[in-house]
Amino acid sequence: MVFLEIHDISFRYESVEVLENISFSIGEGEFVGILGPNGSGKTTLLKTISGLLKPYTGVVLLNGTDIHQMASKDVAKQVAVVPQDSMAAFNFTALDIVLMGRNPHLSRFQWENTRDLSIAKKALELTGVWHLADRLIAEVSGGESQRIVIARALAQEPKVLLLDEPTLHLDIDSQIGIMDLLKNLCKKDRLIVMAVLHDFNLAARYCDKFILLHEKKIVSLGRAEEVLNKENMANVFGVVAIVKRHPMTDTLYVIPLSTSPMRERTDGEFKVHVVCGGGSGASLMVKLVKRGWNVTAGVLNVLDTDHEVAQMLDIQIASEAPFSPITKETYAENKKLIQHADVVIVTDFPVGYGNLKNLEAAMMALEKGIPTIVVNSVPIRERDFTNGEAVKYFQKLVSSGATIVETSDEVLHIIEGLMKPETPS
Amino acid sequence: MEASESGYLRRYRKWRQIIVALIALLVIVTVLSLNVGFAQIPISNIVRILIHEVPFVGNSLGGSGFSDSERLIITQIRLPRIFAGILVGVSLAASGAVFQGIFRNPMADPYVLGVSSGAALGAALAIVLRVGFTLFGIDALSIMAFIGAVAAALIVYNIARMGSRTPVVTLLLSGVAVSIFLSAIVAILQVIAGLELHKLVFWLMGGFSYVKWKDVWGILPLTCLSVSLSYLFARDLNIMALGEEEAQHLGVNVERSRWILLALGSLATATAVSISGLVGFVGLIVPHLTRILVGPDHRILIPASLLTGAVFLISCDAIARVIFAPSELPVGIITALSGGPFFIYLLRKKKGNYSL
Repeated sequence: MVFLEIHDISFRYESVEVLENISFSIGEGEFVGILGPNGSGKTTLLKTISGLLKPYTGVVLLNGTDIHQMASKDVAKQVAVVPQDSMAAFNFTALDIVLMGRNPHLSRFQWENTRDLSIAKKALELTGVWHLADRLIAEVSGGESQRIVIARALAQEPKVLLLDEPTLHLDIDSQIGIMDLLKNLCKKDRLIVMAVLHDFNLAARYCDKFILLHEKKIVSLGRAEEVLNKENMANVFGVVAIVKRHPMTDTLYVIPLSTSPMRERTDGEFKVHVVCGGGSGASLMVKLVKRGWNVTAGVLNVLDTDHEVAQMLDIQIASEAPFSPITKETYAENKKLIQHADVVIVTDFPVGYGNLKNLEAAMMALEKGIPTIVVNSVPIRERDFTNGEAVKYFQKLVSSGATIVETSDEVLHIIEGLMKPETPS
Repeated sequence: MEASESGYLRRYRKWRQIIVALIALLVIVTVLSLNVGFAQIPISNIVRILIHEVPFVGNSLGGSGFSDSERLIITQIRLPRIFAGILVGVSLAASGAVFQGIFRNPMADPYVLGVSSGAALGAALAIVLRVGFTLFGIDALSIMAFIGAVAAALIVYNIARMGSRTPVVTLLLSGVAVSIFLSAIVAILQVIAGLELHKLVFWLMGGFSYVKWKDVWGILPLTCLSVSLSYLFARDLNIMALGEEEAQHLGVNVERSRWILLALGSLATATAVSISGLVGFVGLIVPHLTRILVGPDHRILIPASLLTGAVFLISCDAIARVIFAPSELPVGIITALSGGPFFIYLLRKKKGNYSL
């Protein structure tokens, strides 16, 4: 059931437009993450929803009532806010602070009674800090103070809980603890939780719905897959990122790679073919792509780490079915890629009967006179699972003139050396 | 952890005990300071006179063993003076507690904030211009002192305010600047005061020397009004300690509460100033000390502060009467003598210990 409805709100500070035509609605029990770069209006949006700021157009409807027409006490009975950091001017105890959450339910002539006290106690127990009840607020840690402030918000018995970067200054265990708590409140008490978050992965793990703000507007709204994708990361945050589903949590996770496009420069059509597998070529391929060279790879089995990386890098691959030996067709495909390459790199992948053909292909490159670089940081004997056949191939590569190196930096260095004669100076 | 739960409820009982103890202290200090003065009157006689003065039953209960002149000194000279001291102490301490609460700052007090100077200017104008009207039984001096107090508070607050915050430094500086400016105008008024100069100078020094019962009855309702109305906002003041936005989110109408409290604090200051002249530092020291003793909750801080303020001020006045007897010092000198060093101590003290 829709409880909170934001209808076409726009807000400006003096003459600076901060929010423009924001509309969305939230149902009971939803956990909403508000994302967006600095200055995109996240905090302003939160303050507008809490009734603190009045938009110049549009309305915020709380169960059908315009929040900006309600008395602040009535708003506070339904909407609680946890600010980024809370500091009391005078030194109250944690329990004092939490009991302040009962204020909207008390008249001017009333004092807190035992019922209010038990509500405050329950809130402190929920956030796991009842043992701090008598401690002075200035003497608790950042994480504890955040829990106390959340307890105060819960003592308001709200329907909507708004949080501004609730995990900003917290250690990783407190971050998870607080997000678990919020998720539980959504599920059990049907609370609406809206949180400005800066950690995509934390957000992806807990939120049901995402609002992505960019330049005063909502650019994307919906479930994790719809909002947290490569395109939004690039367009809104300007980062190249990998977005994947984590096999354990079954949620999306985002790994930002760089703030610039992957190809920093394009050195024409200089082609590098990488023969790799089992993750041995992943970081090398990233470096090669960053240099702007035209990288190809193969043969790689689908689901292999190197295959996934190559796919993310948009590299042309000679792919083989998962866990299958290299077939004639794929071998031919790989050979074709090698023939077009200016240089071939053979990484130190483990060799079994299934991928022995990759070394054979490398031999062919040497026969064709294509410079071939072999990385051997893990000695071939330790990664030979073919009773010596791989070692034989390796020795053949060495005797045929392949360059043996230890690190990927050496590879880059050699390739740059190879390119020099071609660039007129 | 049942301890903190019952501890919390026990706290209300502790608050009552604090109040009872402070009232007892006030009674004792009152009787003792009735004893202080040029004429030596034994305490036993003072008690008898006081019992004799109780309406209706006094005559039959107590009664004799004291002279008529003793009775006159106690009831017509010392008692009104002490009651004035109590009311002024209550008003200044209450307004100090309120100002410190709304400005979220233990440095705020009517004197430092320039409110006292504003009241002084208003009162000085009333004296020099011989404004003689009364409004609802309140004389012009009080009304002009009130207007001056509110105006000064507004000016200082608006100078110090930066966006939604009121930083300590700008608050103190603008308070000092406005105070000095207003004091300069008061000084000009002294030059052109002419026949009223004596009255004006004496009033400005601050003291209770010529206080009559009439003056006490005059400010009693205003003091009661400003103090009791302020007390209704005690919980608002607690929550406002969290800052404007958080207080708003907890259901406090911050803008409205702040204006009401600013007006009540200025009213309390103005009533005090109208009878005693400028008495500094009471509003600063008393709430501050009381906060150390009873904690920051304004529901106990306000009543405890105003009782402490009364005790402090009549004690200071007693000292002022005897320290250079038979000459008398203005009480403002005694409060400043004890308040100045305390203020320096506050400035030097690292913040973050028990407040700020």
